[in-house]
Amino acid sequence: MAKVSIFKAVITLLLPLVCLSFSPEEPTDRRILVLVDDFSLKSSHSIFFNSLRSRGFLLDIKLAEDPALSLQRYGQYLYDALVLFSPSTDRFGGSLDLAAVLDFVDSGHDLIIAVDASASDLIKNIATECGVDFDEDPSTVVVDHGSYAVSESDGDHTLIVSNDFIRSDVMLGETEIQAPVLFEGIAHSLNAENSLVLKVLSASPSAYSADPSSKLSSPPTLIGSAISLVSVVQARNNARIMVTGSLAMFSNRLFRSGVQKAGSPNKYPKSGNEQFVTELSKWVFHERGHLKAVNVTHHKVGETDEPLSYRINDDLDFSVEIYEWSGKSWEPYVANDVQVQFYMMSPYVLKSLSTDQKGLYHASFKVPDVYGVFQFKVEYHKLGYTSISLSKQIPVRPFRHNEYERFITTAFPYYGASFTTMAGFFIFSFVYLYQK
Amino acid sequence: MGRGNLGGGFALLILVVSSIYQAAAIFHPISDSHRSAALDLFTPVHHGSFSSSLEEAYEALRTFEILGIIENKPDVGAATCHTVSETFRSTSSTSKDLYHASKVNSILKCDVDSKVFEGVVSRLQAAVSDAGSLLDFYYSIGSLVLIKDRTSKEDLHLVDAEGVFHSIKALSQSDGRWRYSSNNPESSTSAAGFALEALAGVVSLASSEIDQSMIGTTKSDILKLFDSIEKYDDGAFYFDEKVVDASDHQGPLSTTSSVVRGVMAFAAVASGSLNLPGDKILGLAKFFLGIGIPGDAKDFFNQVNSLACLESNRVSVPLILSLPATVLSLTKKTPLEVRVNTVLGSNAPPLSVNLVRASNSGSKGASIIENQELKFDPENAVYILDVLPKGVDVGKYVFVFEVVLHDSELKKVYVTGGQTQVPIFVTGVIKIDNAEVAVLDSDLGNIEIQKKLDLAGENAVSLSANHLEKLRLSFQLTTPLGHAFKPHQAILKLIHETKVEHIFMVGSSGKQFEIVLDFLGLIEKFFYFSGKYDMQLIVGDAVMENSFLQALGNVELDLPEPPEKAPRPPLPVDPYSRYGPKAEISHIFRSPEKRPAKELSLAFLGLTFLPFIGFLVGLLRLGANLKNFPTSAVPATFAILFQLGIAAVLLLYALFWLKLDLFTTLRTLGFLGAFLMFVGHRTLSHLAATSAKLKSA
Repeated sequence: MAKVSIFKAVITLLLPLVCLSFSPEEPTDRRILVLVDDFSLKSSHSIFFNSLRSRGFLLDIKLAEDPALSLQRYGQYLYDALVLFSPSTDRFGGSLDLAAVLDFVDSGHDLIIAVDASASDLIKNIATECGVDFDEDPSTVVVDHGSYAVSESDGDHTLIVSNDFIRSDVMLGETEIQAPVLFEGIAHSLNAENSLVLKVLSASPSAYSADPSSKLSSPPTLIGSAISLVSVVQARNNARIMVTGSLAMFSNRLFRSGVQKAGSPNKYPKSGNEQFVTELSKWVFHERGHLKAVNVTHHKVGETDEPLSYRINDDLDFSVEIYEWSGKSWEPYVANDVQVQFYMMSPYVLKSLSTDQKGLYHASFKVPDVYGVFQFKVEYHKLGYTSISLSKQIPVRPFRHNEYERFITTAFPYYGASFTTMAGFFIFSFVYLYQK
Repeated sequence: MGRGNLGGGFALLILVVSSIYQAAAIFHPISDSHRSAALDLFTPVHHGSFSSSLEEAYEALRTFEILGIIENKPDVGAATCHTVSETFRSTSSTSKDLYHASKVNSILKCDVDSKVFEGVVSRLQAAVSDAGSLLDFYYSIGSLVLIKDRTSKEDLHLVDAEGVFHSIKALSQSDGRWRYSSNNPESSTSAAGFALEALAGVVSLASSEIDQSMIGTTKSDILKLFDSIEKYDDGAFYFDEKVVDASDHQGPLSTTSSVVRGVMAFAAVASGSLNLPGDKILGLAKFFLGIGIPGDAKDFFNQVNSLACLESNRVSVPLILSLPATVLSLTKKTPLEVRVNTVLGSNAPPLSVNLVRASNSGSKGASIIENQELKFDPENAVYILDVLPKGVDVGKYVFVFEVVLHDSELKKVYVTGGQTQVPIFVTGVIKIDNAEVAVLDSDLGNIEIQKKLDLAGENAVSLSANHLEKLRLSFQLTTPLGHAFKPHQAILKLIHETKVEHIFMVGSSGKQFEIVLDFLGLIEKFFYFSGKYDMQLIVGDAVMENSFLQALGNVELDLPEPPEKAPRPPLPVDPYSRYGPKAEISHIFRSPEKRPAKELSLAFLGLTFLPFIGFLVGLLRLGANLKNFPTSAVPATFAILFQLGIAAVLLLYALFWLKLDLFTTLRTLGFLGAFLMFVGHRTLSHLAATSAKLKSA
């Protein structure tokens, strides 16, 4: 009896969690596991955490070496996203390790990695698996004598500013980030072979990765705009990853700090960090830039029902509805670069879809004069958006025997000849048989 | 964290060396940024009261009180006071509730009936005598102390102060820590803080003097507790729980805060002095200041409240030496300013600040300034070194300051931490001279082309070279005092048209910087790419105010053709090009066969009628007739049917063309054929018989 009631209690406790979790219909993450080296981060980075909480996320902040750490239980993931704010962790507690983090991402969950100069090999390896290579020399940080933040107490020029953002409204929001972003941390570069990883915030051309307290003996491995300060990955399964070499970037200190770039007269009372980090986290946690395509329909021009197959040279109408998740509801997605392909081994027709501004995309075209099994394909990849990849199979047949043209003018002389011969034969039969 | 007990002078040496790194952290006392952060953090939420719980309301009010923010809006006070008197009146309030209510009351000074207090006091007295756990003692004694202060009742005493003292003391451990209750075996550092605060309460509530030996043992407990203090590299000391229980881990801030409150409360009531080392007290202050501005209300309160405890404690008051600016510009002639404040930012007693020595952090030992007293500016309460001595050039320095109190009596009250090391950056404009770029002949090094550069302005030189030549770039850097200057970053960047970059460090000998690029050895590094290379020179250093990234122009390189297996560089990809719409594809349909014009076909159709017409005309001309048509009824019927059958077959052919398909046509033709066979046979045999009759006749 007691067991049953405990079971019931567990179910009632778990049920809301299950309902709140990530689903294709509500793609925003809900439950986030934050791993920290030290609980003081709760307080020093509280603005960031509070902004997440106020947006409805359930944060679970744990020590990285907590022996009870686990991402999944009974094959179900307990979290939708993982935030690694634990740069110096050599080994996670519990069942969490490199492979578990990668599995978590491989199953479509999101990840934020922020490190600082104390980054451990474990965290660097996770980043490497995501296509981001941190500077291997542990003593280096990003130094920029050209675009550092004017400060009366930091003379090293390791607190640098950057406003070289990626041009993407979906990642960074529609409001332009006016004030530059303060960065204090280590450099990373993008793996050239990974085509999914993108630089969101790049360093200025005069930046370099070096140890400010010792003389440079060899050319720095990372220099100029090869240095990425913040990078993101959108995997093929739409899992989103953000990697940055500066944990301080998320801190209250840099959120609140004023900023003035060296050599620039503009003084901003507040750095762009809060806006930048908040907007980018909205993207990472799928509050933005998540698309869905529904109601794929096609039919012959003038008809409404979807046919089982098309005949070559038919005229057809194709339409699809695309919506974007706004964090709360699905809003119509408006763009002019959605394309449909009519595809068999290679696209025979590739056409841009026109939109009615309410999410409906439409195109009409003629079926090619090649028969076979075709597909309607919508492959939509746009910077920052989840990719849409849908296909619908449809056979195309040639003309039936009685569908060819029957009365060809060019053939009339032949018909005329035949029929006059027949008429002649008929008359001749009379003359031949009954002539006297 | 501890620094190991290395012996003798060696340890001292290590201390001196490592203290350079120690000095990296400068602690600033509480400032206005704390005040504005407090206003953001503690905002009234529930209809004018600070928070749902009195504990949080107290934390907010206490923080505002310490920071001196006049924020006691009447409505906040009224609403919170209402909750306070509710709590006092309610008989179901626990001693914890009463404690927080008394705390709030001590700040807001609510108008509570003295009769209410009497009831509360008797309940609390009972609670003290029934108390089993440390926190029971802590809350009920704490409330009694606060009520005593508030109501100024001199006769409010604990019934059995010594007994209570003993029962609290019974929970203490040999290492100075305390247990929360007798049946909880785990000892805790924060519990020690609570216990000490409770003991302090007992002492102040005792009707007669508490036994000095007991106070003495408690003092030694405190000293033992301070033995377990932990240390950060920057000189900050803190307390932390030995056993980290992840479930309700409080963190070093709340533990340290609890201990500081307890120790300072006990020190305030205990007679005689508490011989705590001053550097640890200063270290604790550094710990709280080093946190910066916490974003969590509880942490903020703990930090500010503990600093307030340190500010006015009886053991030793820490003084914090801070520098508003550690980056001094030679061009702007920034004066060196030093402030000495208490932790909460109030002014220090009369003292003087000496610059003991200043040395270049690169070359150890060589001191450039020694024993200079800083001038005091009473208006701004800063100590100023107006002009940096002549010998100070750009560079990184370590300045060592010493705070000397004027009044020797005050030396017992304040702790200054002896010498403070501060890293100072002296920046200035570096002079750049004799910048030139030249193309050299490889064998003899003869100059073929030479161009002067103006590294402060625009440059757009245009050179050309082949793989047998060399490129030489040279310039001079001198500090404002005319010394050679070696920047941290002196890099020449060559960027090919394909965006492939090559970087070279520019080396120096003395003031002269020079790099010679021998293209013969660089062919492979350049991937055999001929063409235009843009040159960029980057010179930068932390103390160089005119760090620059300068485009120098370009050099047109003529390199040999690549061999077959030359490696190709990874070309940088533009991320934007991967996205965006593809070019449209429209299917090219097979073109329909070419047909003659309609008129031509119709004309030929007309022509096909001509033979038929000619045939008819010929028949008429030949005088065709039908005289042989059978005349008798039966053969005539058959002949008519035969001819109709032929007509039907021909019509069927016409219909086949117009609409029928092959199967219908053949079926119909089958029936018609049988019919024609029959009638044709009859007709033809009749005709044959008739003609045979004619012949024979």
